Order: sequence, then structure tokens, then C-alpha cells
Amino acid sequence: MIRICCTSVGQKVLMALTGLALCGFLATHLSGNLLLFAGEEAFNTYAENLHSMGVLLKAAEVGLLATFLAHLGLAVSTTAMSRRARSRQYDEKESKQGVFALPGGGASNWMLLTGLGIGAFLVLHLVDLKFKMRPDLVYPTDGGAYATVNTVLSSPVSFAAYGVALILLGIHLSHGVRSALQSLGVSHSKWNKLIEIGSMLFAWAIALGFICVLGWVVLSS
Amino acid sequence: MSSELINLTLRVWRQSGPDSPGQFDNYQLNGVSTHMSFLEMLDVLNEQLIESGQESVAFDHDCREGICGTCSLMINGQAHGPDTATTTCQLHMRRFNDGDTVTIEPWRATAFPIVKDLVVDRSAFDRIISSGGYVSVNTGNAPDGNAIPVAGSQQEVAMDAAACIGCGACVAACKNASAMLFVSAKVSQLAILPQGQQERSERVVSMVSQMDDEGFGSCTNTSECEAACPAEISVSNIARLNREYLRASLCGRD
Amino acid sequence: MVRVASETLNSRVPEGPVDQIWDKHRFNMKLVNPANKRKFSVIVVGTGLAGGSAAASLAELGYEVKSFCFQDSPRRAHSIAAQGGINAAKNYPNDGDSIWRLFYDTVKGGDYRAREANVYRLAQVSNTIIDQCVAQGVPFAREYGGTLANRSFGGAQVSRTFYSRGQTGQQLLLGAYQAMMRQVQLGKVQMYARREMLELIVVEGVARGIIVRNLVTGQLETHTADAVVMCTGGYGNVYYLSTNAKGCNVTAAWRCHKQGAYFANPCYTQIHPTCIPVSGDYQSKLTLMSESLRNDGRVWVPKNAGDSRTPAEIPDEDRDYYLERRYPSFGNLVPRDVASRAAKERCDAGFGVGDTNLAVYLDFRDAIKRDGEDAIRKKYGNLFHMYHKITAEDPYKVPMRIFPAVHYTMGGLWVDYHLMSNLPGLFVLGEANFSDHGANRLGASALMQGLSDGYFVLPYTIGDHLATSQLPTVPEDHPACVAALQSAKGRIDQLLSVQGTRTVDSFHRNLGQIMWDNCGMARDKAGLESAVGQIQELREQFWKNVRVLGNGESFNQSLEKAGRVADFLEFGELLAKDALHREESCGGHFREEHQTDEGEAKRNDEAFNYVAAWEYHGVGEESTLHKEPLSFDNVPPATRSYK
Repeated sequence: MIRICCTSVGQKVLMALTGLALCGFLATHLSGNLLLFAGEEAFNTYAENLHSMGVLLKAAEVGLLATFLAHLGLAVSTTAMSRRARSRQYDEKESKQGVFALPGGGASNWMLLTGLGIGAFLVLHLVDLKFKMRPDLVYPTDGGAYATVNTVLSSPVSFAAYGVALILLGIHLSHGVRSALQSLGVSHSKWNKLIEIGSMLFAWAIALGFICVLGWVVLSS
Repeated sequence: MSSELINLTLRVWRQSGPDSPGQFDNYQLNGVSTHMSFLEMLDVLNEQLIESGQESVAFDHDCREGICGTCSLMINGQAHGPDTATTTCQLHMRRFNDGDTVTIEPWRATAFPIVKDLVVDRSAFDRIISSGGYVSVNTGNAPDGNAIPVAGSQQEVAMDAAACIGCGACVAACKNASAMLFVSAKVSQLAILPQGQQERSERVVSMVSQMDDEGFGSCTNTSECEAACPAEISVSNIARLNREYLRASLCGRD
Repeated sequence: MVRVASETLNSRVPEGPVDQIWDKHRFNMKLVNPANKRKFSVIVVGTGLAGGSAAASLAELGYEVKSFCFQDSPRRAHSIAAQGGINAAKNYPNDGDSIWRLFYDTVKGGDYRAREANVYRLAQVSNTIIDQCVAQGVPFAREYGGTLANRSFGGAQVSRTFYSRGQTGQQLLLGAYQAMMRQVQLGKVQMYARREMLELIVVEGVARGIIVRNLVTGQLETHTADAVVMCTGGYGNVYYLSTNAKGCNVTAAWRCHKQGAYFANPCYTQIHPTCIPVSGDYQSKLTLMSESLRNDGRVWVPKNAGDSRTPAEIPDEDRDYYLERRYPSFGNLVPRDVASRAAKERCDAGFGVGDTNLAVYLDFRDAIKRDGEDAIRKKYGNLFHMYHKITAEDPYKVPMRIFPAVHYTMGGLWVDYHLMSNLPGLFVLGEANFSDHGANRLGASALMQGLSDGYFVLPYTIGDHLATSQLPTVPEDHPACVAALQSAKGRIDQLLSVQGTRTVDSFHRNLGQIMWDNCGMARDKAGLESAVGQIQELREQFWKNVRVLGNGESFNQSLEKAGRVADFLEFGELLAKDALHREESCGGHFREEHQTDEGEAKRNDEAFNYVAAWEYHGVGEESTLHKEPLSFDNVPPATRSYK
């Protein structure tokens, strides 16, 4: 087991596991957020129920933070390994994989940057909604979570930041999910196409789901 | 098919030794027949260089029929040039146009130090194989070839992996200079065949460990290696290596 | 006049019935005690099928092995390029094969110029080779049920060829390479890659070491051992253009020859009929198209010389399917030497096609019409793809253009039944020796021979030499080592000091042209005599005017090439002289003076039923001919006919 943490393959396995765990969190988070569409009452009830879990919630939060930090740490470690593996870059480098939507050869080339972007967003997100300490906002005293969310997301700064971050998230996951499965050895010639499409759908379903929530809140306020 | 003659500007990486700084030198090469192979074009360049009293460009090559894996070259930023499933020796000049500038660089990876000009040292691959890429069976110990049947379909998958020519294009093309495609091809071949079962766990663990020690990067699953591979080795082998590695780590003996 | 040694060579073939010799001999040979094996060291030069398998097997037995190759990795030896397959007398298809039949086919295929006892041993161990390779994880083709698959090949009426797609050589080589790398890991094999052997060290008549040049640093290194094993391949590149890899060379073998080892039958060269023709004077090598294509392709040239129509426009009545015409019973499937000569005959007569008029058509039109394009694609897809890539022509639509090319060399250093040359302690394996194929090699037999020598013959016979010889330690400063080192160094200095104006490659091309024109598919006295003169002249030119830039103390590919070409310039002369002396036609050696009325090869068993082994006396000096008489007690010689 110790070996796993030290080798390139082991680190990628752990990276995949932590990544998929975070995906699980995102899916839960999104399903909660979708309750915003069900109206103020439903969402507030959900939020209250969630907060009434007490210790359990704290434990989950700590676990989540640890997973996130591990994911980040592994990313830094494997990236460092890869940087060392090529000390001098090519003067010219072209992909052989055809045309990409992104410069430089697809989402896989942007994992660290998109990941760091998401990390930065996460700090903002926690300041906004967990600690409620955004200096430029006046948080409502009543109306529950629903009102707070509305207040935060209605700010143009938030809208821009959240929007950008969610697109980054989509890009990150569009490679991340498929890559995680590959790192865990999930591959079969019969199912690979399906796994690929499924991973892509999952990635953008999460990102677009959150974007819908964001859009709806902004439009409806 | 009649041939055309084209003129090219070559930007070639020149480096006199492992520790010397290198630089790009430009050469004008005229009257290149489009029927030539890329290496024949370099032969012509070298003949001209020698005739004008300059040292020829060093590059690795041997069989010139795409199987020995000796030739390399990053051509306009692509390992083995623009064609897929093709080694540099099988690339032909009809892929280029009159007036093109062609940039030629060596494989670049810390684990493949440059020997001279376009020649690199790929002995890291040999060390990875010697760390476990074999079946430990001494000469004379073998049972009859038909003693253990191998399903035709299974054998085909093993052969797909075994087709690796060890050229290093996967490492060269990978943004992380990872050797996972090379290592996984050998791990896969021997993990699939019944003959490789006895050492299955030890093999994958020691080969991965040797791969890391050689200074290759980690795999980011971009599949650029697969696209660059002249032998069309699939990244599904990398998934199999990952599976094998997990299996060995979780269930294997220590 | 050829100087002939009075005594014949002793092949050390034991007495007895041919099918019992090897078993008995294995018992009679002296053994080295298991605990003593580690006290003996063996140098193996070359890491192809013969060298790789020998190094691995010797190390497994306990010997200390040093292995050398000029490539950057032992896995790149040219055995890797063999396509078709490997023969064995397993008789899995139940079609009547046996060890005896494989023996018979090989002797006959070699046109009765091979040593029977060696060939029988080869057939005998062929089956264990397959077993060994399977156990190593070589992915041979399998039937649906999981048993090994076979296919048929030229020169045999049974299916006995085992294969891994079109990459059998690659898979077998990687098997041997991996077995050797395992011994590297275990510390029993020291691997020296990018080393070129430049000299053999002979101490008191016994081969005891080699001088190599480290091709990266330019350093000359002295390595001594108790025996030296040469597995350095063939000399096809003396023709410049061949299907050999660019690096293949005769240098190591030639160095041994100059130190006293006899060179046998150099004129036996195999010209493969189906190769992609030369497209221009920049051509650097020729690419083989598998022999299997002749199963479905029809070979033809236009009936009218200089017919300028495209092949599709030429109707059947204007086409000359010359193989079908000349050999109605075998048709397009005549053996390699016959097909090659027939193509040359048509082109010489002015019927050749293509830009150079040195090609014939190999046409799949009728096969595609009969079986459909898909069926043809399934069988030959990879070959068609390769052809398309090289020529930019689509063979599904336009007939392939093919022409013969030098492919394999049956001649090599002379060895006895132990695979030891006349120099004690010098063993020669694989294509580098002369022993098993006679004057013509059958398809799928080269892989068999290389692995047989390395896995199953040398490990027994080398023990006998080590156990029965006095082998005092040879220090690196022994006068013989110092002399060899000086000789190697002197030659390098000499090459660098010429500082002429012509490139090495231009000399090599020149030599190749002389060899191809005069010692190619068909030879005659006048041509061979002129070749000898031309080679001598070219050699003189070379030493006056070659330009080798750079220095000897660094990575210098021009210098490497120069050394090899210098040796080819000496060797080519011996090849031509051997061809000149052999006043008969047999297998790959076709003397125009000696043919039947129908233009077929005519052997002269009374005068030439022997192995011609040449002893070196100096550059340009006449060599002494040592004869090893051949006897065919089990396969009586007959005339091959394919009419």
C-alpha cells in the first residue's frame, strides 16, 4: 500500500480515487442545489436538514477537505515528476490527434490550471456561502439559505466568477472522469466508446447543471 | 508515378555531445525527389555536407522498413513525422511541399539523453525490460508448444501488444515524457498469455518501479502516445497495466 | 590458378547413421562441471536470433557472458525484420511431415551443397525451438481452439511454418532478447551496446578475445574470454542495395577471416524475387514484399518491348505471363532463385517495365476478380499498405512492380559440426556461418537455424571445447591483445588520414553496382574477372580518396561506415573469386556457362561437390582453397525441376 503512494502509477490511482470521490460530492451538491427550482421552502428545508446533521456534517466536511487537498497534492507531485521528465521542451510540438477545441491538445493539457482555478473558486465559494464574509455583500438576516444564495449569486462579481469557474469545472471533468476510469483500469474494447461518452456527459451534466442553477437564480431575482 | 523535385529548408538540431549546448542549424536542400524516404533525404543532405567539408548530421536508423525501432526524429513537432502508424524510415517526401521548412529535433526526455545531434540513448527501455519484461524459463525447460492452449482471440490481443518496436515515440510525443505505453505493452502481452501468469505480479511492480527510476513522467491519459505509435499500440494496454498494478499491490505477495 | 590445400578440412562429423549422430555425440562430448561453469567466460558478438539465444542459454548454464552489438539496443538486430515464419517438423497439421522430411527438403532446397549431418540436427531440434519460444511468451498464431497454427511456404509440400502475423522474426527476437535481458538482470550477462567489433584476439592459435570500439565515446576496448562466439549475420550489404538493415556488415567476420578463420562459399547469395524496385540513385535500401504474394499474384511483362501503355490498357493477348509459360506446373510459385532469374532474363531482353525498365508486374487483377477485394485485403492488407506507402500506387488498382533484390547470404565463416571454425575457440552461429543451407535457403529456415545454433547446439558443443582445452588467463596487456588493439587503432587512423574528396557512401554504391552487375543473379567468367579488377581498382581509389570527417574519439557515423566499406572492398573480391572458381550453377550461384538447354541451373557434382573454404594471405593476395568434401548418403542428389 505504501508503494502505491510513491510510484507514478500508484499516485495516478489515488488521484483517480480522490477525483471520483469529489465527483460524487459534486453530484450530491448539484442534486441539492436543483431544489432551488422547487422553490424557497423546499430548498430551505433541505439546507436545514443538512445543517442539523451536526457532527456527521463536520466529519463529511473534513473528509471532503482532506480529499481535495490530497487530490491537489498528488497533482502537484505528478506534475513535478513530469516536468523533471522533460527538462528541455520541443521547439515545435504538434499533436497527432486531430483538431481540438482547446489550444495545445485538449483538456488534458489544462488539468493543473483548471484545477487551480477551481481551487481558487472554492475559496471564494466558501467565503461567500459558508463563512458569509464577502465584504462587498450585505447578507440577509432572514429568508434562510434560499435568500443568502440569491443575494450572493445576484452580485455581478459572483455571476462572472461562478460562471467562469463552472466552465473550468466542465473542462476539468471532461478529461478527469474518463482519465480517472482509465487510471483505475476501467477499459474494455466493447465498452470504451460508451465509457467515453458517459464520462463526457457526466462532466458537462454537472457543469451545466450548476450553470442552470446560476442562470435561474440570476434571472429570477 | 513520376517524381517531382522539391526544395526544402531544413532546421536541424545540432549538438556535438551529451553535455554541449545544442542549436538549430539551417540547411537549404534543393532538388529533393518526392519518391525519397525521409531518411534518404537526410542521406542526401549528409553527402552534401561531407562534400562541403562539414560533419554529417548524426541520426539513428537501421532496418529502414519500419520494424527495428531504431529511427526516431521529431519532424515538425510530430514523432516520426505527420503520418500515423508510420516510422520515420517509412515516411516519404511526397508528404512535403516545395518551399517547406522542416524542423527536425531529437526525442526529448530526461530518460533519453542526447548522444549527438539527433541520436539519443534509449537504454532506459532495455533496463525496464531487464527488470521483469520476460518469462523466466530456461532453455530446455519448455513443455510441448500445444500443451497449453491459448484462444485465438486472446493470442491476437497479446500480439497487438507484442507488436511494440521500442522506438520511444510514445515518450517523445507525451507531454510528460511518460513511458507508460511502452511498459504497458510488455506487461499486457505477458499478462494475457498463460505463460506469463507465474510472474504477473512481480513483473508489473518491478517494471513500473524501474520506469520511475529512469525518470520518465507520469501518465495523464492524453492518448497522444497512441496517436504517435508507429505500431498502433492501444492505450487500453495502459488501462490493463493499471489494473495489473492495482491487483498486484492489493492482492500480491509483498 | 587457385591454390588448393592438399589436406581436406575435417568437419568433425561423428560416424554413424545420420539420425543418431547428434544424440550419441551429445553423450560423447565432454561436459563442464556445473560448479566450474562460472569460471569460464564467453564473448558473444551480435544479438540477433543466434547471438541473443546463445547469450541467454550460456548464461543460464552458468557461464559468464559478455554480449556485444553495434546497435543502440540488442533488440534491434536485423533478425527482427524477418516476416514469414519459422519451420519445425511438429506435424501438427497431420499432413505427413517428419524430421526426416524437413531434413530432406532442406538438403534438396540447398541444391545439395549443405552438410547432411548439420541439416539433420537442425531438423531434429526444430521442434524444441517452437516449444521454447511458446514458453517465453512468443505469440504465435493460433487456431480458434487455441492450438498452434501453421502455414505453407516455398519448397515444401507440407504446412510446417509457425508464424506471428508478418512479424515472426520480431517476436522470436524479442523472446531471445528478453531471455538475455533476464540474465543481464541476474548479472550473468554483461551487455555492451553500441560497440563494434574491430579485431579478434588470437593467442597461440586460439581465439581469446576481441577489440571493440565504443561507438559513443570512440574508445577502443579490449575484452578477453575463454571462447568467442560470432553471431554477426550476413554480408548482403556488399551489394549496397539489399533487404538487409543499413548497419549489417561483414567487418566482424572479415576480421576473424584475416586472423586465420576460413571463409566458406561466399558466392552463395540469395536474391529474393519480390522486392520493391529501385526508384532512383538516392535509393538506400530495398524492401521485401513477402513471398506469399505469389500465391495470388500473377507475374507478367508486356509482349512488346517498350509498350508504353498503362498496365490496365494492355490486353491479355499482349501480356507475357512468363513464369506460367516457362514453368507450367509450378507457375508463379517456382522457388526464389528460379523466379529471380526469370525476371532478370525478361528485363535484360528489354521487356522490363517502370521508369527504369527494371521491374516486372505482379498483378492481382484476376485474384480480385475471382475472390473479391475484401478477401485479398484480408490476406495481404498489410503488404498492400506498405507497398502503397512506399510507391504511392494502389496495388488494388494498379499491378505491383517488383524486382529481385539481395536478401540473404548462405556463405559465411567455415565451421565444423561443433559450429567451431578452424580457429579453436572461435564459434560461429546463424547467418554468419555457412553450414546449413547449402547453395540456397528455403523460406522460414533462417530463423530456425539461428535459434537452433544458439539455444540447442552451441550450449553443448562449447562445453566440449572449454573442458578439453588449456586456457590460461589472458591479461589485457598480453602481446596479442596489444597487437590487436594497435591494428584496430591503426586502421582507424589510416581511414581518418586519407582526407580525400569522395564520401564513403559513394564508394559503397560503386562497389554495390560492380557486385550486382557481375556477381548478381547470373554470373559469367568475363564478368567475374572484370569485377575482381574493378574492385581492386576501387579499393585503391578508396584508400587514396575517401573523405572521413571528424575524429576517432567521438560518436562518428562516417567513420563507422568507412570501416565497414573498407572491409566490403576486400571481401567483395573474395566473393567474386569464389564465384569464378565454382564452375557450375547451384542454388543462388548461377554461372551462365553452366545451364541446361532450357536455361536452368546445371550442377557439376563430380568436380564441385565440396565446401570451398578460403584461407586469407593478405589484401589482394590469392587465398588458399581448403575443400571439405560433401557426401549425400541419405538424400541422393538429383536435378531440381519445376517444369
